[in-house]
Amino acid sequence: MMWKEKYRIGVDLIDSQHQELFKRLSKFIQIVQNNIPWEDKLEEVKETLNFLGGYVVFHFNDEENFMKEINYPDFELHKKIHEDFKDEINEYIKLFEKEGFTEDKIQELNAKLMTWLIMHVGKMDQQIGKYTKEKGGY
Amino acid sequence: MKAEYINSFYIATQDVFNLMFDLDVKKNGLKVAEDMIPTKDLSVLLGVTGDLKGTILFSFSNNMTLNMVEIMSGMKMDKIDTFVSSALGEVANIIGGNALTNLAANDYVCDITPPQVFVGQHKTVASLEEKTLIINLGTNIGDFDINIFLSEN
Repeated sequence: MMWKEKYRIGVDLIDSQHQELFKRLSKFIQIVQNNIPWEDKLEEVKETLNFLGGYVVFHFNDEENFMKEINYPDFELHKKIHEDFKDEINEYIKLFEKEGFTEDKIQELNAKLMTWLIMHVGKMDQQIGKYTKEKGGY
Repeated sequence: MKAEYINSFYIATQDVFNLMFDLDVKKNGLKVAEDMIPTKDLSVLLGVTGDLKGTILFSFSNNMTLNMVEIMSGMKMDKIDTFVSSALGEVANIIGGNALTNLAANDYVCDITPPQVFVGQHKTVASLEEKTLIINLGTNIGDFDINIFLSEN
Protein backbone atom coordinates (compact mmCIF):
# COMPACT_ATOMS: atom_id res chain seq x y z
CA MET A 1 0.00 0.00 0.00
CA MET A 2 1.20 3.40 -0.90
CA TRP A 3 1.72 5.97 1.81
CA LYS A 4 1.00 9.43 0.43
CA GLU A 5 2.20 12.77 1.74
CA LYS A 6 -1.39 14.01 1.73
CA TYR A 7 -2.12 11.57 4.60
CA ARG A 8 0.27 13.46 6.89
CA ILE A 9 -1.53 15.23 9.76
CA GLY A 10 1.49 17.14 11.05
CA VAL A 11 1.91 15.27 14.34
CA ASP A 12 5.13 13.25 14.12
CA LEU A 13 4.13 10.43 16.47
CA ILE A 14 0.82 9.79 14.68
CA ASP A 15 2.30 10.20 11.19
CA SER A 16 5.09 7.72 11.83
CA GLN A 17 2.60 5.20 13.28
CA HIS A 18 0.33 5.63 10.26
CA GLN A 19 3.28 4.93 7.97
CA GLU A 20 4.10 1.82 9.99
CA LEU A 21 0.46 0.67 9.74
CA PHE A 22 0.51 1.08 5.95
CA LYS A 23 3.79 -0.86 5.84
CA ARG A 24 2.50 -3.75 7.96
CA LEU A 25 -0.80 -4.02 6.13
CA SER A 26 1.06 -3.88 2.83
CA LYS A 27 3.27 -6.75 3.93
CA PHE A 28 0.20 -8.74 4.99
CA ILE A 29 -1.55 -8.16 1.64
CA GLN A 30 1.64 -9.16 -0.24
CA ILE A 31 1.86 -12.45 1.68
CA VAL A 32 -1.82 -13.27 1.12
CA GLN A 33 -1.74 -12.31 -2.58
CA ASN A 34 1.52 -14.04 -3.59
CA ASN A 35 1.36 -17.28 -5.56
CA ILE A 36 2.62 -19.60 -2.81
CA PRO A 37 0.06 -22.37 -2.02
CA TRP A 38 -2.22 -21.38 0.89
CA GLU A 39 -1.17 -24.26 3.18
CA ASP A 40 2.52 -23.37 2.76
CA LYS A 41 2.05 -19.78 3.87
CA LEU A 42 -0.70 -20.21 6.45
CA GLU A 43 1.65 -19.92 9.43
CA GLU A 44 3.17 -16.73 8.04
CA VAL A 45 -0.34 -15.37 7.37
CA LYS A 46 -1.34 -16.00 11.01
CA GLU A 47 1.87 -14.46 12.38
CA THR A 48 1.61 -11.35 10.19
CA LEU A 49 -2.06 -10.87 11.04
CA ASN A 50 -1.19 -11.08 14.72
CA PHE A 51 1.66 -8.59 14.28
CA LEU A 52 -0.68 -6.22 12.41
CA GLY A 53 -3.56 -6.59 14.90
CA GLY A 54 -1.25 -5.78 17.82
CA TYR A 55 -0.04 -2.65 16.10
CA VAL A 56 -3.59 -1.47 15.32
CA VAL A 57 -4.48 -1.61 19.05
CA PHE A 58 -1.17 0.07 20.03
CA HIS A 59 -1.73 2.88 17.52
CA PHE A 60 -5.39 3.46 18.41
CA ASN A 61 -4.38 3.79 22.08
CA ASP A 62 -1.67 6.33 21.27
CA GLU A 63 -3.95 8.29 18.96
CA GLU A 64 -6.74 8.34 21.55
CA ASN A 65 -4.30 9.52 24.24
CA PHE A 66 -3.14 12.28 21.94
CA MET A 67 -6.74 13.36 21.27
CA LYS A 68 -7.39 13.52 25.02
CA GLU A 69 -4.20 15.49 25.58
CA ILE A 70 -5.26 18.20 23.11
CA ASN A 71 -8.93 18.15 24.26
CA TYR A 72 -10.03 17.12 20.79
CA PRO A 73 -13.78 17.93 20.58
CA ASP A 74 -14.70 14.85 18.50
CA PHE A 75 -12.80 12.45 20.74
CA GLU A 76 -15.84 10.30 21.66
CA LEU A 77 -16.97 9.91 18.06
CA HIS A 78 -13.44 9.08 16.88
CA LYS A 79 -12.93 6.57 19.68
CA LYS A 80 -16.26 4.92 18.81
CA ILE A 81 -15.15 4.54 15.19
CA HIS A 82 -11.96 2.84 16.43
CA GLU A 83 -14.04 0.56 18.69
CA ASP A 84 -16.44 -0.36 15.87
CA PHE A 85 -13.50 -1.18 13.62
CA LYS A 86 -11.87 -3.37 16.30
CA ASP A 87 -15.22 -5.15 16.80
CA GLU A 88 -15.43 -5.81 13.08
CA ILE A 89 -11.91 -7.30 13.03
CA ASN A 90 -12.69 -9.36 16.13
CA GLU A 91 -15.70 -10.85 14.34
CA TYR A 92 -13.33 -12.07 11.63
CA ILE A 93 -10.91 -13.46 14.23
CA LYS A 94 -13.80 -15.36 15.86
CA LEU A 95 -14.81 -16.71 12.48
CA PHE A 96 -11.22 -17.82 11.74
CA GLU A 97 -11.00 -19.58 15.10
CA LYS A 98 -14.28 -21.34 14.44
CA GLU A 99 -14.00 -22.16 10.74
CA GLY A 100 -10.28 -21.88 10.06
CA PHE A 101 -8.23 -19.28 8.19
CA THR A 102 -9.66 -19.58 4.69
CA GLU A 103 -8.00 -17.73 1.82
CA ASP A 104 -11.30 -16.17 0.73
CA LYS A 105 -12.13 -14.73 4.14
CA ILE A 106 -8.60 -13.41 4.66
CA GLN A 107 -8.75 -11.70 1.25
CA GLU A 108 -12.11 -10.20 2.20
CA LEU A 109 -10.65 -8.94 5.49
CA ASN A 110 -7.66 -7.43 3.67
CA ALA A 111 -9.94 -5.52 1.30
CA LYS A 112 -11.78 -4.12 4.31
CA LEU A 113 -8.56 -3.20 6.16
CA MET A 114 -7.04 -1.53 3.10
CA THR A 115 -10.05 0.62 2.18
CA TRP A 116 -10.82 1.45 5.82
CA LEU A 117 -7.26 2.55 6.55
CA ILE A 118 -7.03 4.77 3.45
CA MET A 119 -10.35 6.47 4.23
CA HIS A 120 -9.77 6.76 7.97
CA VAL A 121 -6.26 8.20 7.72
CA GLY A 122 -7.07 10.19 4.56
CA LYS A 123 -10.25 11.76 5.91
CA MET A 124 -11.14 11.23 9.59
CA ASP A 125 -7.63 11.61 11.03
CA GLN A 126 -7.06 14.74 8.96
CA GLN A 127 -9.52 16.48 11.27
CA ILE A 128 -7.16 15.86 14.21
CA GLY A 129 -4.35 17.51 12.22
CA LYS A 130 -6.58 20.44 11.32
CA TYR A 131 -7.62 20.97 14.94
CA THR A 132 -4.02 20.72 16.15
CA LYS A 133 -2.90 23.36 13.63
CA GLU A 134 -5.78 25.66 14.58
CA LYS A 135 -4.66 25.43 18.20
CA GLY A 136 -1.18 26.53 17.23
CA GLY A 137 0.48 23.22 16.38
CA TYR A 138 2.01 20.56 18.52
CA MET B 1 -36.20 11.59 -9.07
CA LYS B 2 -34.95 14.77 -7.43
CA ALA B 3 -31.62 16.32 -8.38
CA GLU B 4 -30.34 16.21 -4.78
CA TYR B 5 -30.56 12.40 -4.74
CA ILE B 6 -28.37 12.17 -7.84
CA ASN B 7 -26.00 14.91 -6.69
CA SER B 8 -25.51 13.28 -3.29
CA PHE B 9 -24.12 10.19 -4.99
CA TYR B 10 -22.24 12.10 -7.67
CA ILE B 11 -20.46 14.36 -5.15
CA ALA B 12 -19.71 11.39 -2.87
CA THR B 13 -18.20 9.52 -5.84
CA GLN B 14 -16.03 12.51 -6.77
CA ASP B 15 -14.80 12.91 -3.17
CA VAL B 16 -13.99 9.23 -2.67
CA PHE B 17 -12.26 8.86 -6.05
CA ASN B 18 -10.20 11.93 -5.35
CA LEU B 19 -9.17 10.75 -1.90
CA MET B 20 -8.60 7.07 -2.62
CA PHE B 21 -7.31 7.11 -6.20
CA ASP B 22 -6.23 10.73 -6.84
CA LEU B 23 -8.64 10.72 -9.77
CA ASP B 24 -11.03 13.37 -11.02
CA VAL B 25 -14.50 12.18 -12.00
CA LYS B 26 -16.56 13.92 -14.66
CA LYS B 27 -20.10 13.34 -15.83
CA ASN B 28 -20.18 11.95 -19.38
CA GLY B 29 -23.90 11.56 -19.73
CA LEU B 30 -27.23 10.46 -18.34
CA LYS B 31 -29.79 7.99 -19.63
CA VAL B 32 -33.03 6.46 -18.50
CA ALA B 33 -33.44 2.68 -18.27
CA GLU B 34 -36.36 0.34 -17.60
CA ASP B 35 -34.51 -2.11 -15.36
CA MET B 36 -31.49 -2.18 -13.13
CA ILE B 37 -29.05 -4.24 -15.18
CA PRO B 38 -25.25 -4.37 -14.75
CA THR B 39 -23.75 -2.53 -17.70
CA LYS B 40 -20.14 -3.66 -17.18
CA ASP B 41 -18.14 -6.70 -15.93
CA LEU B 42 -18.36 -6.15 -12.17
CA SER B 43 -21.16 -4.47 -10.27
CA VAL B 44 -21.93 -3.55 -6.69
CA LEU B 45 -25.49 -3.22 -5.44
CA LEU B 46 -26.40 -1.10 -2.42
CA GLY B 47 -29.90 -0.96 -0.98
CA VAL B 48 -31.15 2.32 0.49
CA THR B 49 -33.66 2.40 3.34
CA GLY B 50 -35.10 5.13 5.57
CA ASP B 51 -36.61 8.41 4.31
CA LEU B 52 -35.68 7.27 0.80
CA LYS B 53 -35.90 3.75 -0.53
CA GLY B 54 -34.31 2.22 -3.56
CA THR B 55 -31.19 0.70 -5.03
CA ILE B 56 -27.88 1.96 -6.35
CA LEU B 57 -25.82 -0.13 -8.75
CA PHE B 58 -22.20 0.67 -9.60
CA SER B 59 -20.79 -1.03 -12.73
CA PHE B 60 -17.09 -1.21 -13.60
CA SER B 61 -15.03 -3.00 -16.24
CA ASN B 62 -12.55 -5.67 -15.10
CA ASN B 63 -9.64 -3.49 -16.24
CA MET B 64 -10.78 -0.46 -14.34
CA THR B 65 -11.42 -2.53 -11.21
CA LEU B 66 -7.92 -4.06 -11.35
CA ASN B 67 -6.47 -0.61 -11.89
CA MET B 68 -8.35 0.82 -8.88
CA VAL B 69 -7.11 -1.95 -6.60
CA GLU B 70 -3.57 -1.52 -7.94
CA ILE B 71 -3.69 2.18 -7.04
CA MET B 72 -4.89 1.39 -3.50
CA SER B 73 -2.59 -1.54 -2.82
CA GLY B 74 0.46 -0.41 -4.78
CA MET B 75 0.64 -3.97 -6.14
CA LYS B 76 0.09 -5.44 -9.58
CA MET B 77 -3.27 -7.22 -9.77
CA ASP B 78 -3.78 -9.73 -12.57
CA LYS B 79 -7.07 -11.39 -11.70
CA ILE B 80 -10.45 -10.65 -10.15
CA ASP B 81 -10.23 -12.60 -6.90
CA THR B 82 -12.01 -12.13 -3.57
CA PHE B 83 -9.54 -9.42 -2.53
CA VAL B 84 -10.26 -7.38 -5.68
CA SER B 85 -14.04 -7.87 -5.72
CA SER B 86 -14.32 -7.20 -1.97
CA ALA B 87 -12.23 -4.03 -2.34
CA LEU B 88 -14.61 -2.83 -5.07
CA GLY B 89 -17.56 -3.60 -2.79
CA GLU B 90 -15.93 -1.60 0.02
CA VAL B 91 -15.27 1.39 -2.25
CA ALA B 92 -18.94 1.43 -3.31
CA ASN B 93 -19.93 1.08 0.34
CA ILE B 94 -17.76 4.07 1.28
CA ILE B 95 -19.30 6.13 -1.54
CA GLY B 96 -22.75 5.10 -0.28
CA GLY B 97 -21.81 6.13 3.27
CA ASN B 98 -20.60 9.54 2.09
CA ALA B 99 -23.75 9.96 -0.02
CA LEU B 100 -25.86 9.36 3.11
CA THR B 101 -24.06 12.24 4.81
CA ASN B 102 -24.84 14.44 1.78
CA LEU B 103 -28.49 13.31 1.83
CA ALA B 104 -28.70 14.03 5.57
CA ALA B 105 -27.64 17.62 4.81
CA ASN B 106 -30.84 17.77 2.68
CA ASP B 107 -32.87 16.35 5.60
CA TYR B 108 -33.16 12.80 4.27
CA VAL B 109 -32.13 10.30 6.93
CA CYS B 110 -31.22 7.00 5.26
CA ASP B 111 -29.22 3.85 5.74
CA ILE B 112 -27.56 1.49 3.28
CA THR B 113 -27.51 -2.29 3.18
CA PRO B 114 -24.17 -4.18 2.94
CA PRO B 115 -22.73 -4.22 -0.61
CA GLN B 116 -23.43 -7.17 -2.89
CA VAL B 117 -20.92 -7.76 -5.68
CA PHE B 118 -22.11 -9.23 -9.01
CA VAL B 119 -19.96 -10.63 -11.78
CA GLY B 120 -21.17 -10.37 -15.38
CA GLN B 121 -23.56 -8.25 -17.39
CA HIS B 122 -27.13 -8.36 -18.64
CA LYS B 123 -28.80 -9.87 -15.61
CA THR B 124 -31.55 -7.87 -13.93
CA VAL B 125 -30.58 -7.31 -10.31
CA ALA B 126 -33.62 -5.34 -9.24
CA SER B 127 -37.10 -5.08 -10.69
CA LEU B 128 -38.43 -1.58 -10.48
CA GLU B 129 -41.87 -0.02 -10.67
CA GLU B 130 -40.46 3.09 -12.29
CA LYS B 131 -37.61 3.99 -14.59
CA THR B 132 -34.06 4.24 -13.31
CA LEU B 133 -31.34 6.73 -14.13
CA ILE B 134 -27.87 5.71 -15.33
CA ILE B 135 -25.04 8.22 -14.93
CA ASN B 136 -21.92 7.48 -16.96
CA LEU B 137 -18.81 8.87 -15.28
CA GLY B 138 -15.35 9.26 -16.74
CA THR B 139 -11.87 9.10 -15.18
CA ASN B 140 -8.32 8.80 -16.52
CA ILE B 141 -8.42 5.04 -15.96
CA GLY B 142 -11.76 4.38 -17.63
CA ASP B 143 -15.44 5.09 -17.33
CA PHE B 144 -18.10 3.50 -15.16
CA ASP B 145 -21.84 3.70 -14.52
CA ILE B 146 -23.95 4.45 -11.49
CA ASN B 147 -27.51 3.28 -11.81
CA ILE B 148 -29.74 5.14 -9.34
CA PHE B 149 -33.30 4.40 -8.35
CA LEU B 150 -34.60 6.27 -5.30
CA SER B 151 -38.03 7.38 -4.18
CA GLU B 152 -39.45 8.93 -1.02
CA ASN B 153 -40.72 6.42 1.48
